[in-house]
Amino acid sequence: MLVYGKTTRDMDTSNPAAFVNADLLRLYVGKRVRALIQVVRSDGGSVVGKSTDDGQIIVKGNPPVPPTNFVEVIGVADSDKSIRAEIWTNFGDAIDTHNYNQLCQLANSDFKHLFI
Amino acid sequence: MTMKAPSPDAISTIMANPSPDTTADMPEIVVQILDLTPKGSSRYMFTANDGKKKLKAILPSQLTPQVISGEIQNLGLIRILDYSLNDIPSKSEKYLIVTKCETVSPALEMEFKSGVKSEETGILLKPKQEIEINSEVKRESSGNGIMLKPKQEMVTKSAAQIIHEQHGNMVPPARMAMTRRVHPLVSLNPYQGSWMIKVRVTNKGTMRTYRNARGEGCVFNVELTDEDGTQIQATMFNEAARKFYDKFQLGKVYYISKGTLKVANKQFKTVQNDYEMTLNENSEVEEASNEAAFVPETKFNFVPIEMLGPYVNGKELVDVIGVVQSVSPTMSIRRKSNNENIPKRDITIADESKKTVVVSLWNDLATNVGQELLDIADQSPVVAIKSVKVGDFQGLSLSALSRSMVVVNPDTPEANKLKSWYDSEGKGSPMASVGTGMSPSTRSGGRSMYSDRVFLSHITDNPSLGEDKPAFFSIRGYISSIKPDQTMWYRACKTCNKKVTEAIGSGYWCEGCQKNDEECSLRYILVVRVSDASGEAYISAFNEEAESIIGCSADELDKLRSQLGEENSYEMKLKEATWVPHLFRISVSQNEYNNEKRQRLTVRAVAPVDFAAESKFLLEEISKMKAS
Repeated sequence: MLVYGKTTRDMDTSNPAAFVNADLLRLYVGKRVRALIQVVRSDGGSVVGKSTDDGQIIVKGNPPVPPTNFVEVIGVADSDKSIRAEIWTNFGDAIDTHNYNQLCQLANSDFKHLFI
Repeated sequence: MTMKAPSPDAISTIMANPSPDTTADMPEIVVQILDLTPKGSSRYMFTANDGKKKLKAILPSQLTPQVISGEIQNLGLIRILDYSLNDIPSKSEKYLIVTKCETVSPALEMEFKSGVKSEETGILLKPKQEIEINSEVKRESSGNGIMLKPKQEMVTKSAAQIIHEQHGNMVPPARMAMTRRVHPLVSLNPYQGSWMIKVRVTNKGTMRTYRNARGEGCVFNVELTDEDGTQIQATMFNEAARKFYDKFQLGKVYYISKGTLKVANKQFKTVQNDYEMTLNENSEVEEASNEAAFVPETKFNFVPIEMLGPYVNGKELVDVIGVVQSVSPTMSIRRKSNNENIPKRDITIADESKKTVVVSLWNDLATNVGQELLDIADQSPVVAIKSVKVGDFQGLSLSALSRSMVVVNPDTPEANKLKSWYDSEGKGSPMASVGTGMSPSTRSGGRSMYSDRVFLSHITDNPSLGEDKPAFFSIRGYISSIKPDQTMWYRACKTCNKKVTEAIGSGYWCEGCQKNDEECSLRYILVVRVSDASGEAYISAFNEEAESIIGCSADELDKLRSQLGEENSYEMKLKEATWVPHLFRISVSQNEYNNEKRQRLTVRAVAPVDFAAESKFLLEEISKMKAS
């Protein structure tokens, strides 16, 4: 009897990723984070991105092909300036980075308890 | 017993004997000195008072030292030892020259008047006076003139008389500068008579002219702040406006009195105060010379240009900062209300969001600051503007008010950041106007989907909303269901959209157009269920709005309905319309149905959700939550 297993990508709530920008990244070194970045350039194995607070974040891994202007990455912060990405999601060519940045700040201050 | 009173009829005695012979027996002449004032630099003059009559008098210069030393005092008594009475050349009066005198008493309590009865009560201050009740005192005495204390008669006096007696000898209020009693702004009210305040001008509006039924006028107002930080707005019209416009300068301190207070018009409230002040031509404004001018640092709360969306057509005024891209020449705009021409200038500013916005400056701002900006426009100056209104002209635009403040190249961190961004990056970047892509609401009278934003529960929890006249709100919600088996439409006249009836024979009859037509159109009239995070409600929708919601016209939907087959395309179409978010403009009114009052909600306008704008709105709401 063949049993077909269905693989689903469930949301991993056991290890939540904190919303970060360049400034907040250093608070989560070694931990799981997610960040929206604007792709500045990609060179073999990593992407240089501009964070929503106009800082720089290096993302290691392979971006989607082709990547859109804005990409969200989820992964582990391996330093205070870089993320080792596990998941990449194209977020399109135009997005309001200010809103996302405000979200990062709210999610790490007054409303942290709703996220982590 | 010392007689602390003038001699009775002393003045008459003097008048009767203008040039007494010093050797002769001179009667006792004691007078009270009133109105003692210096005449020239060496002599004093006064009014001699005996309780009944008064006489102008002069103390020659040799007696001046006695005045200065305090021996001869105003309200005091002197015994005149030698005098002469002269005529005043041009008048029929006489004046007395006192050549020799001696002090009898220092200042009495008050001007002596015969006939005034004293009471031995605590009201009178020391020294207790034994005042003769009458000039014609019945002297029950022997010949040597001993005065017995006459019977005191109790006489009631009015409060005013008592106060006068008490204050009659008080020094008249000195010059304002020395005895100013300043009232705190917080203590002012319309019922308090005279007050004086010491305030700084913390904001000065421009002079506006107006025309109404009574004619033309001009007005301006200032914001006044006192030491405690209380603020009040003061308005001046016409004469007063002209009188004080140049006098009031931003940052300077003034003593103000003789203004009037009234309850503030909450509609135009600019400062936190229940009252507002009006100054007229009789009001007094005096600059406080010892106070340094201090222009309090204007507090700005900048909204980035791209975040202005939620403020469109709202009541809240915003502050903006940007790099000047262009300055228009002065335009003359005719005001509809009074046909008056006012100067206007449009400036375009940009910020780091790479968005630009046009700010309209009016009147003084257009001519003064506007000109200044035009002159330095090629330097790309930074301009900070406080309190502008956000309108929907050309999508989004800003307009200055009389209370707006414009600061050119302010020395603040935001300005410096902006300038360095512009110099390094912004200068070359393409910019887009923040207004493009923003559609002003047409049907709902120009109101944006962000004004009067509520949750559905706010409407459904309040059954009395819309009782007198319809109330309007904006909501963001999802269509949760559309019943497929309701009356979706009515048959409408192709010309006037009114309901038509089936004509005898064929076709349709329109009562309004008074004609028959073979064909009619179908126009939506349906009810949809809308839900949001707070609850749900049934809302009526008419043709245009329903078309937006369903995604096709009523005629098209009817075709789908009559389609037979497995695919129930009609129901599918309706299902596809559900769980789509929309921004709605809703009107709420009351209907009576079976003797029951019911709320009737109607969609007036539909707009797609702009998620970026909506997020900004939510961020604003979150920060408001935090602030309260």
